[in-house]
Amino acid sequence: MNIEATELEKAVLLKVNGRMDAENAHEFEEACRHWVNQGKKHLIADLDGLQYVSSMGLRSFLAIAQELQSASGSLILCGLHGLPRQVFEMTRLIGLFPVFETPEQAIAKL
Amino acid sequence: MEPSRLTLPASAESIAAFREFVRGGAVAAGVSADEFERLDLVLEEILINVARYAYAPEKGLVEVAYAGEGCGKLRVEVADWGRVFNPLEADPPDLSRGLAERQIGGLGVFLVKSMVDSIEYRRQDSRNILAFTFPAGDGGAIDRTPL
Repeated sequence: MNIEATELEKAVLLKVNGRMDAENAHEFEEACRHWVNQGKKHLIADLDGLQYVSSMGLRSFLAIAQELQSASGSLILCGLHGLPRQVFEMTRLIGLFPVFETPEQAIAKL
Repeated sequence: MEPSRLTLPASAESIAAFREFVRGGAVAAGVSADEFERLDLVLEEILINVARYAYAPEKGLVEVAYAGEGCGKLRVEVADWGRVFNPLEADPPDLSRGLAERQIGGLGVFLVKSMVDSIEYRRQDSRNILAFTFPAGDGGAIDRTPL
């Protein structure tokens, strides 16, 4: 898994590529927490390049989203497709996040 | 067909090797390549449960065996020598809760049940054995088998 962060005016864009599993899900959580600790309220996860996510990855998404919500912020998901989209839909987690097709659409709503 | 077996330490670090091993069986059994990532997920969720609960705080081994079932299906058994533990008995997660109240526990087993054709647990010769067939038809084991 590879995570590329870009600081925007109102949010931080995190482009996630590869597989998020039991071995590396904590890396995503740490990358998000780095920005949350700096006071960023909105994180946009671009998941167009994410091929795989297991329940350990879901745990990280949920933990960060709950933290941001309690700080009146949000974890926004973009580009969900394939197995990751199926997993978010089956667990009905998808309804708990703002979801957009592209980061541009997410940024326009902030 | 004689099943193929691989035994490794029950830890997250073993998951990648088991994934490659079972994918070999999936190819031989004629499982569609579109299904491989779902198979990876089922295997990971079961193995991570074993790694966390079977022996903790001690360490132990886990064995994965597979055999072709015909018709593009694969049967996989995951066995450990740890304490009696049937993950299929866990309460199903409440998927209706909002973000603040949402619990993450139980989602792994829920996903497994959703993605396999059938799954059963048995305790045999002081081992926990979780056996599943893959891939599922529509709906997975969760809709058809009272687990």
